[in-house]
Amino acid sequence: MNHSAESPNFRSIFSLSNATRFVQIAESLGVFALLMIVVIGASIIAPGFFTYTNLTNTLIAASITAVTGLGMTFAIAMGGFDLSVGSVQVLTAIVVADLLSAIDPPLAILGALLTGLAVGLVNGVLISKLRLPAFVVTFGMMSIVRGVALLITQGQSVMITKHVEFGLLNNGKILGLPVPFIIMTMVFLALSVLLKHSPFGRHACAIGGNRAAATVSGINIDRTTIAVFGLVGVTAAISGVMLSSQLMIVDATLGTGFELQAITVSVLGGTSLSGGHGNLVGTVFAALLLATIASALNILKVISFYQYLALGVLLIFALAIDTGRRAFIAKSLAARPG
Amino acid sequence: MDLSEAANRKINGQPSYTIFVLSFLTRYYIQSLLVISVVILAAVNPYFGTVGNLQNILLQASFAGIGAAGMTLLIVSGAFDLSVAGLLGLCGVLISEFLPSLGVVLTVVTALVFGVLLGLLNGLVVTKLRIPAFIATLGMMNIYLALAFIWTQGSRVIAVSDPNFNTLGTGALFGFLPIPFLVMIATYLVCYGVLNRSVYGRCLRAVGSSEIAARTAGLPVDLIRILAFAIVGGCTALAGVFLSAELSSASAIMATGYELTVIAVVVIGGTSLKGGEGTLFGSFAGALFFAVISSALNILNVAAYWQYVVTGVFLISALGVQALRSYILVE
Repeated sequence: MNHSAESPNFRSIFSLSNATRFVQIAESLGVFALLMIVVIGASIIAPGFFTYTNLTNTLIAASITAVTGLGMTFAIAMGGFDLSVGSVQVLTAIVVADLLSAIDPPLAILGALLTGLAVGLVNGVLISKLRLPAFVVTFGMMSIVRGVALLITQGQSVMITKHVEFGLLNNGKILGLPVPFIIMTMVFLALSVLLKHSPFGRHACAIGGNRAAATVSGINIDRTTIAVFGLVGVTAAISGVMLSSQLMIVDATLGTGFELQAITVSVLGGTSLSGGHGNLVGTVFAALLLATIASALNILKVISFYQYLALGVLLIFALAIDTGRRAFIAKSLAARPG
Repeated sequence: MDLSEAANRKINGQPSYTIFVLSFLTRYYIQSLLVISVVILAAVNPYFGTVGNLQNILLQASFAGIGAAGMTLLIVSGAFDLSVAGLLGLCGVLISEFLPSLGVVLTVVTALVFGVLLGLLNGLVVTKLRIPAFIATLGMMNIYLALAFIWTQGSRVIAVSDPNFNTLGTGALFGFLPIPFLVMIATYLVCYGVLNRSVYGRCLRAVGSSEIAARTAGLPVDLIRILAFAIVGGCTALAGVFLSAELSSASAIMATGYELTVIAVVVIGGTSLKGGEGTLFGSFAGALFFAVISSALNILNVAAYWQYVVTGVFLISALGVQALRSYILVE
């Protein structure tokens, strides 16, 4: 159900885009303000939070979540979802760890990225060609990929012993900034260009905004869908490689609930579930917020189960805000005479 | 509208044996699949047909089956609940904590009421906050799991060692039919009555086919959905009672992956994810089918990890079959 479809004239579409833009900027600022409050609060109540080591670790954790969150933002902008990212993350982390015992790091990383791409493309083909609902397909895929990861490892851990320089991907620094942060920034820049300044990104948003209109205007929906899910797969694989280099020992039980984090940072960052637009800046801020909260809770020695609770509550909270946001857009659209 | 009826109408005037077989198979494909797989497995493997194994299959089928009965009603109303694994874990923990002091009957009643309340909460979050059901319940799952973890201080396994209570999971009628399976049959009969013979069932189907039409017709759409979520909560708690009785233990993660199995059972049974129509007979057969496959994997010594792959593949291919079926009939 799309509101521009009810009164399809230029002005209403124009005011719709104005309203969404206003909401989007307000959301980014809101999340940023929240982030600042939490950072300041954490620095005061949790001594040891505002140290170089801890800030670096928080930044690394945030970067790993943000990379997949950025891909997820693309999918949500297109009106889709990917629940399989957690399993893809763990599978690619295992693939890269396994490959490192045989081949050089660049090739191993390439292998992991191709694995993620392959899973994403399969998701996209099933969703577009068979017209199956995205969340059930990716839900099934979540189970399949997790099973494959368990089968590869036989339930054992995989330790990276050869090519230990692979760890530099996690603890290396360029200009004093941690490498994961640099990777995340590069992914952010690339996806921003793709989303805002390429036909591909505009097509994805058009499909999310109004699928019927997108079809009529000649957009190849199947191809765009497949490409977007491929992209999500690749971002999940990048997160997987980053995770592998962070832990240096991986097993198939990692990454459970990662899909929830990725969706939470997207929605909290201001990307509406109704589709049509993506807020990549907001996603990055929201990932930083999530990591800051987790780090503060860790330092305060709050048992980790409360972090699950916090994540669930935060997701429901973000979704409730999204409901308000959608109502606001609908209202501001109705308020302006067409 | 039933698709196979449409197929029959489409070819009216030329009644032929093959068409009859085809329409029977499209309508009862999961039941046919179930019978075929049981016959083949019994022929191939001598252990499969033994009383002990068949009894075990019925027992295993009832855990997913009881949850799937409620889920069928919810999916007919056009919503989902992914939180059932967390809900079941939380109910299991509640049972293990309350059983020593409350006794069997009161504990079971408390667990069921608790499940219904959690279901109501799911329904309220989905309808009143207007959040898409599957993502809202994904968040609720995390919350329930976290609460269960906090309650048990981790994934600690708590023993449930009341012999009367354990009989609920291990007992059998005439020495053959497990009690959980009998309860599963009863659950399906009740749910069948609710879905096909009651005003509420008609409301469920109306809301599932077209929410806007149902709203326009003056149906209390939110209330109908909230009640459906409560039914799922109740059914899941019921499954939790028997699961903890059978395992003689409970923990927060006792039902990991339960939501996937339950939804796969409903979908493979032939209930459309679009809502509006559903078949409890199909879900019943779907639950048995999954238990048969899982038992076959066990007997054939396939690594347990294949279970994940198989469940996911079945879910996606069942959806594919549904899509294909409607595509063929439209053509």
